[in-house]
Amino acid sequence: MRSARGLVGVLLLAGLTVATAATGAETVFLSSQLRPIEEAEKVRQVLLRDAPVEANFITDEPPMVVNRMLAEARAGDVSVGLIGALHGELQPLVEADVLQPVDDLMARLQDRDFVESFVELAKYGGDTQYFIPWMQATYIMAAHRQALEYLPEGADLNALTYDQLRQWGANIQQATGDRRLGFPAGPQGLMHRFFQGYLYPSFTGGVVTRFRSDDAVAMWEAFADIWEVTNPRSTSYAFMQEPLLAGEVWVAFDHTARLMDAFRQRPDDFVAFPAPAGPQGRGFMPVLAGLAIPAGSPDPDAAAQLIDYLTRPEVQVNLLREVAFYPVVDTELPTDLPQGIQIAGEAIAAQTAAPDALPSLLPVGLGEREGEFSKLFTDTFQLIVLRGADVRETLDRQVEVLRRLIEETGAPCWPPDQPSDGACPVD
Amino acid sequence: MTIQRWLILAAVLVLCLWVLLPIYLIVVSAFGPRDAVFAWPKSFWPVDFTTETVAFFFGAQGVLSGLLNSILVALMTMVMAIALGAPAGYALARFAFPGKNVYRLLVLMTRAFPIPVLAVPLTVRFIEFGLYDTLLGVALVHTALALPFAVLITSSLFLGIPRELEEAAWTLGCTRLQAFRRVVMPLAMPGLAATAIFAFIVSWNEVFAATILSLENRTLTAFLISVLGESPLYFKFAGGFFLIVPALVFIFAIRKYLFSLWGIASR
Repeated sequence: MRSARGLVGVLLLAGLTVATAATGAETVFLSSQLRPIEEAEKVRQVLLRDAPVEANFITDEPPMVVNRMLAEARAGDVSVGLIGALHGELQPLVEADVLQPVDDLMARLQDRDFVESFVELAKYGGDTQYFIPWMQATYIMAAHRQALEYLPEGADLNALTYDQLRQWGANIQQATGDRRLGFPAGPQGLMHRFFQGYLYPSFTGGVVTRFRSDDAVAMWEAFADIWEVTNPRSTSYAFMQEPLLAGEVWVAFDHTARLMDAFRQRPDDFVAFPAPAGPQGRGFMPVLAGLAIPAGSPDPDAAAQLIDYLTRPEVQVNLLREVAFYPVVDTELPTDLPQGIQIAGEAIAAQTAAPDALPSLLPVGLGEREGEFSKLFTDTFQLIVLRGADVRETLDRQVEVLRRLIEETGAPCWPPDQPSDGACPVD
Repeated sequence: MTIQRWLILAAVLVLCLWVLLPIYLIVVSAFGPRDAVFAWPKSFWPVDFTTETVAFFFGAQGVLSGLLNSILVALMTMVMAIALGAPAGYALARFAFPGKNVYRLLVLMTRAFPIPVLAVPLTVRFIEFGLYDTLLGVALVHTALALPFAVLITSSLFLGIPRELEEAAWTLGCTRLQAFRRVVMPLAMPGLAATAIFAFIVSWNEVFAATILSLENRTLTAFLISVLGESPLYFKFAGGFFLIVPALVFIFAIRKYLFSLWGIASR
């Protein structure tokens, strides 16, 4: 007992010294991205190893990043030097005036050849640059090779339509007895992006303006048919790489980072291909992560140096090689990339370069109410597809929620909707 | 053997499996090859023992320090919860004072506020006090969470120790403090151990406060929640393994006090 007490004492003392000794001179790089343990380790040990300043790469779930930055700003004592987060996650921080504008830095990085639309996104519709583009990803399709023999007659994997996708799923079900299409429609899944960036643009050519159009009615009916041949366990999937690797699903839609493990572990078993097209084109959604400096950052110069370093073309290629996020600067890709990244990269290139490509952006201007916007789509999906509610009636009801949300936030249209003066009109 | 005995045995077996089976599956998955996690049908027996996943996990930045931090925070919580909770429990058990019942109820109020609601204000205050990103800060919050249990468990514990024993010690020349230390304490030991375990587990499992209040000094649970949510399945199993083992070791170390607690209970 005595020795136990002594031990407790020593540990407590050690704890206090550890706690006080931890404030080093390195810059804290807080990121909501690259959270998976292997990716985070690669950032620390490969990507940041040659950085001009010492950085401590720490990951946090997205809401935590936002809460922490708000709290640090309110207390007036900021310990985070650099923030890495998605375009939409940084938006609440822009609105709370927590980020330091980076126009000067952007001007210094002119030689980087950033993708122009990404630079615009980082201004949130104004003139001030709030973050520097860091890396991009998107959503694509993946399939097990076994599924390929059931492709409908005459279908081209790189130019699939939603109708062919349904036929494909039906063929697989007929041959194997199982429904083997898969969507990440679980609570942790990113299904709402499928509706916002893929299904709606492909069928209606818009997202907000065309929400309740006749095209949208046809779209929901078509998707309900696709759901007939979709694995019903889709409502619990979060990362499609898992059911793909387990063999429960043969054809799936998801974020590239959430499919990568399948391509990486079994590159010979899986293929990647662009999302299907609808009557209006091949809707797809690029996802952008940016680097931002909090106002009152302990060392803004170090943060700027890190940004400079992380956006160099060779570092961007390294980022792709190590963690499978794609460059945001125009650069030649090497040919010796790991197989998994090559597989996904070709699909992304085919998707972007498709003749009928219809890029859609993440919602802009909704601020902290973006969650409501996403919920609107998942609710509509649940009502129509899962519970079989009348499509026209449901859309007429849900459009009121949408109209209120858009009017209250005053969000102007974002692509693929046509630009608007003032709040985006809902037809 | 009688039927009754068989029934008891069966119940014991079911209870043991209830606890041990998940732990067994986690261990097998953590030490199995990566693709075995996705294999179907799953094999119940371990295939190809490998430490690859666990070794990577253990080497990752933040795991080892997180483990140490978790242990330190849990121990601090334990000490503070007992140091503050036991006297409060003793007072509730031995003294009559106005507002006693209200107090008993109010103690529970700290559990009524969900921490996520408090997150930003709490963090702001902690930054101002200089407690942000320190183990002591996290331990303080955990102590606040563990205190209601500590107070209520110890108060019923002291109620169960006859006052006469204490009074006898006084008549034999003990001061109040001496009587407490030499007579009440030894009898209360098992209960205090149980309280300590409780405080330890509350702290060990708490995620939210530990995440928002720390940045570079994460506890293991806070570290894991920020990392494992999006990690592949095999790392989740490795993480589960790392969370279970220290808690099991701690409970085994302290179990003899627990067993004697049951001895008192069945008296």
